[in-house]
Amino acid sequence: MSPHSAHTAHSIQAASRQLEGPLLEVTDLRTHFRTERGLVRSVDGVSFTLDRGRSLGIVGESGSGKTVLSRSIMGLLPKRNTERSGSVKFEGREVIDLPLADRRKIWGREMSMIFQDPMTSLNPVMRIGKQIGEGLRLHLGMSKEDARATSLHLLREVRIPEPEKRLDQYAFELSGGMRQRVMIALAMSCGPTLLFADEPTTALDVTVQAQILELIGVQKRERNMSLILVTHDLGVVAGHTDDIMVMYGGRMVEKAPTNVLFASMKMPYTEALLKSIPKIEDPSHTRLSVIPGRPPDLVNPPPGCSFAPRCSFAQDRCRTEVPPLITAEHPDHVYACWYPVGSPSHRARTAELAAAMSGAH
Amino acid sequence: MTDIDVIAHQHTPEVPLIDQGAPAKVRVRKRGRITKWLAIGWLVFITISAIGANSLPYISHSCPGGSTTNCSTALVGDILSKRELPPTWATWATPLNKTLPGKATHAGLMGTDSNGRDLFARAMLGARNSLLIAGLAITFGLAIGTFLGMVAGYFRGWVDTVIDNLTNVMLAFPALLLAIFLVTFFNKPDTAESAAPRPLWPIILALVILSIPPLTRLVRANTIAYAQRDFVVAARSLGAKGSRILFREILPNIVPTLLSFALTGMALLIVAEGALAFLGLSVEVPIPTWGAMISAGSERLRAGVWWISLMPALVMFLTLLAINLLGDVLAQRFNRREAIG
Repeated sequence: MSPHSAHTAHSIQAASRQLEGPLLEVTDLRTHFRTERGLVRSVDGVSFTLDRGRSLGIVGESGSGKTVLSRSIMGLLPKRNTERSGSVKFEGREVIDLPLADRRKIWGREMSMIFQDPMTSLNPVMRIGKQIGEGLRLHLGMSKEDARATSLHLLREVRIPEPEKRLDQYAFELSGGMRQRVMIALAMSCGPTLLFADEPTTALDVTVQAQILELIGVQKRERNMSLILVTHDLGVVAGHTDDIMVMYGGRMVEKAPTNVLFASMKMPYTEALLKSIPKIEDPSHTRLSVIPGRPPDLVNPPPGCSFAPRCSFAQDRCRTEVPPLITAEHPDHVYACWYPVGSPSHRARTAELAAAMSGAH
Repeated sequence: MTDIDVIAHQHTPEVPLIDQGAPAKVRVRKRGRITKWLAIGWLVFITISAIGANSLPYISHSCPGGSTTNCSTALVGDILSKRELPPTWATWATPLNKTLPGKATHAGLMGTDSNGRDLFARAMLGARNSLLIAGLAITFGLAIGTFLGMVAGYFRGWVDTVIDNLTNVMLAFPALLLAIFLVTFFNKPDTAESAAPRPLWPIILALVILSIPPLTRLVRANTIAYAQRDFVVAARSLGAKGSRILFREILPNIVPTLLSFALTGMALLIVAEGALAFLGLSVEVPIPTWGAMISAGSERLRAGVWWISLMPALVMFLTLLAINLLGDVLAQRFNRREAIG
């Protein structure tokens, strides 16, 4: 019973904290890395808020800054050669310039993270039970026995078969899916209010991906956590998050509630991302559309819209002026594009492209 | 009964072909199993001999009067008649005192030295200081090198700059020259008349200093590699402190590498001590080291008295071989490549 009482004590404490206002408020966050090539602008002025119990999906290609954004919010990046500015407010408290000792208190208890590759995110020479127990003993001051009992409870919650046996096993004795379950148990162990999941299913088998996402969703609901799900797959976030934020070249280019985004996306980039997902209703051997070119160089970003060089709808203005964030018909829907999907010039260009395609055939 | 009948009979229905319980142990033949046990056996033998030489019958028996002290100190008297006797098995070797009638012409497993002392007993006694010096040196070297390497590799910054540059400077020195310099520096100069027994610590200290830089480099490189691994970031993201990450997350991962390297390092240090002894710079305590014994015999090589140098060299060679073989076994045992995504 003692492990449960520790949990209860913790949740009471959590409940007594300030409950008004958003849980996380990020304003103009910039994270730049000093390298020999120059300043890499991995995150370049991102602002958003996340309410309690809500989930946000961050979508983008490799190098779009989505992973750096999540680590930057947590404050996990090394200090060396990193420039961070802007504001990150967690429960109304500024956390961006907290000293390391205070950040450590937040890590695990308030925010925690699930990593991409469960093969490497567990210590290969430490038993599973001990790895989960460490955080419990450190943050919640549990005794060895309580920590073990709670670890067992957590493993049961993430639905690992034979949890008693797993406690004394090493990571290499488990399958990839089981390891990711252990990682989820680990991240969940100290009852965080905000969970980051950094591509939690990318390294897993397709058959296991859905189970893991389902598990994260269940845990989020049961514990009333907020969730930030980072992925490159629009399909992954579609069914699992309330809002979606699309990142490109270190900036937020579109953000909307999930259903609004899929119903009326404005950014040609989002549209291109969606088109690059294979559809079941397409006839077989349909050529999948790809986005030509590569993500922008973050040291020397192109002037104007960073997607312009790869955008089929780009016009002269896109190459010189950076588009600001514009609010769409839905008040929570913002996008950064001069000629959004559905605008007259976009429609004209679509017709032009279609004509060119049929002409070519 | 034909062969086919026998085979068919073996598959009787009472014996289920597939055991539903624990999976059957699969026997896998491993390469080098015999050499591994021979190596371990030799090391155990040499260690026991080194520690218990005084009370082990096979050693004290070879010494005059049954006391190992007589094998370590310089002797006079009738013992001299036994000097430079070849090993018993080397029947072709001519002893120095073959002309003396009624005297033994061959003695012991390894022969005797110029003072008539049994070489086998001396070689076993010599293991004591040789192993002690190399063992202590590698232990301290490991402790200091691991600490410096982990601190440099994990915290980076100016600490790393200082440690890394110092390491490079030390590595740029010719090792033997550095050792000679260090031993001469730590030892009090010998006066002409009194060759006081030199203590053990200067040579140990010199070897420790010699072993720190490569170990620091090894540990630093390993620490850097592990510090960027996801599980370390994961531990950090759960609020673990720097010291905890170093000792709980990183150290256990580099210990296997260190263990196999430590054995190789110990072999190198035994050689280094031998080289220093050969140059007359090692300890000069009553109990010899292997290096000192080889050195002492080298003067007589030209006179055809080969066993005085060769026998301790053989013991040293076997010990080094055993240590290196064992190091290989450890390296194979721990060098498991894990799937890195």
